[in-house]
Amino acid sequence: MLIFDVQASRDTIGASDLVQLLYVLVRVSPSQQAGQKGLPLNLSLVVDRSTSMEGERLDTVKRAAALLLDHLGPKDVLSIVAFSDGADVVLPASHVHNKTPVLSRIRGLTADGGTEMYHGLAAGMREVLKATPEDHVNHLILFTDGRTYGDEEACLKLAKRAADHRIGLTGFGIGSEWNDQFLDDLVAPSGGQSAYIEDPAQILHYLQERLNGLGSAFAQNIRLSTDEFPPAVQLKYGLKLKPYAQPLSVSGEGPLNLGAVEGQGPLTYLLELTITPERESRRLHIPFLHRADIPRYQVHDHLFVQGLNLSVASNVPSITPSAELLEAVNVLNLTRMSEAAQTAVEQGDLAVATRRLKQLTSRLQEAGQAGLARQAQLELERVSVMGQLSEEGRKRLKYGTRALFANPYRLRL
Amino acid sequence: MIKCQECGSSQYDGALFCNECGGNLWGRRQRQTSILPFAAESVTAVPPSLSPEGAGETARPSSITFVIPSSGRRVVLKDVRQIDIGRMDERKDIEPGLDLTQDEGARHGVSRRHALIRFTARGAILMDLNSTNGTVLNRYRLMPERPYLLRTGDEIQFGRLLAHVFIE
Repeated sequence: MLIFDVQASRDTIGASDLVQLLYVLVRVSPSQQAGQKGLPLNLSLVVDRSTSMEGERLDTVKRAAALLLDHLGPKDVLSIVAFSDGADVVLPASHVHNKTPVLSRIRGLTADGGTEMYHGLAAGMREVLKATPEDHVNHLILFTDGRTYGDEEACLKLAKRAADHRIGLTGFGIGSEWNDQFLDDLVAPSGGQSAYIEDPAQILHYLQERLNGLGSAFAQNIRLSTDEFPPAVQLKYGLKLKPYAQPLSVSGEGPLNLGAVEGQGPLTYLLELTITPERESRRLHIPFLHRADIPRYQVHDHLFVQGLNLSVASNVPSITPSAELLEAVNVLNLTRMSEAAQTAVEQGDLAVATRRLKQLTSRLQEAGQAGLARQAQLELERVSVMGQLSEEGRKRLKYGTRALFANPYRLRL
Repeated sequence: MIKCQECGSSQYDGALFCNECGGNLWGRRQRQTSILPFAAESVTAVPPSLSPEGAGETARPSSITFVIPSSGRRVVLKDVRQIDIGRMDERKDIEPGLDLTQDEGARHGVSRRHALIRFTARGAILMDLNSTNGTVLNRYRLMPERPYLLRTGDEIQFGRLLAHVFIE
């Protein structure tokens, strides 16, 4: 049903008391029988209609809602919720046979009030739960351009509950004012996606892409259990690479939710592990236990068992990891360098920030990413002169480096 | 821990890229100067060494000439107080005064920052900069980072690359 390929950056760990790093790249692909069509969709579109959405932003989101209506088939279920200080259910969960009255209600949306996201998410989740979750791909799609105030914790708890109900979450941030870290945290429990939409014109493209992915989900709710990792192994960082790049939540309890295998896949993710081998041990086994739902086979919580067997030796032979793994770790490093520059700016350490931005610029140039390198250079100049990054530039760097994962592997190492 | 060859920061064993400067660590061995076995002729009489304090202020000779027999190249440097010897690497901002790249320095085991020659009040000194394959002066393998007196007509091996030195 699913094929798992688990590859590590090396097959031998040094017999040493010192902490060592190991990178593991996992690729999950559907077996050959997988077709293109998945389960019917059960979507809730949750739209921010706060004052700042007035104009092109809200107009484009309305067009996105219309696109959604066109995309859905007769078995799909749709609901639409608009929120500002409170939430209004514009369209209760239903099969939409007559689009005209729905479109008219969407066109009637006006921008007004603040951004209280919890109301919108909670109403959207209630609507999704009206349909039978096991027969659908269940998903909330959030569009927002602002920061929610005072209800972040409630939103994050709700996202966790949604994941427990097997409801995925995609968060689209429009413009530059929204809280990107919050949106990353919000989508993490379900293995969902957050994306930066700089120009409202991009909304339709992003939505179309997401709908194509959701509509072709072959396996969903794929989780990796890290509880079985031996004590010598600690998960330090996780990043989903395909079908879209998204950091994985490694600090939370429970399994790592990886999302879905969409279409012919694959789903690919990268882990960074720290290892401190026990003395006297000659081998280290790291089990990789995945569970997944595969609706077309009426399979839920199916367990897939793989593992890595590493030698522990005083002499570690030098091996060259696969190009795919090297590319992934290289991009991971670039994203971290970008984050480290931001952290240095926040801490007021401008000398460190400029050094890091200079290094990032040079690495991006080496990687053939001229546009991103220019952006890093611009931010470097801004930090030198003004002591701060621009919000747009910071997001462009963050999501730009992140997007390198999803592209074909074409960096120059 | 391993050391990034580009920025010198300490990194975990097994790291593939430096988290400070983004430098490539997995290809470290390939990108480093390859390690050559000891040459049989490398132990003979000990040339005089200077304590670092003994080097004193720099002084300037009129010229120093290097003759590299394997490539037949002759390099004359004038009015210099110090000469860095190694292989050019623009990306790392390494521009040695005596660049041995075209003498097939890499193949002969010359490091990017291999050695330096400084002109002091007590004469010219040669110092190996902890290079991968070491520096041999008149068939004596130098201790790294210690200054040794250099005289005209001396024979220096940077890794396996032989050069004759003439100071005026």
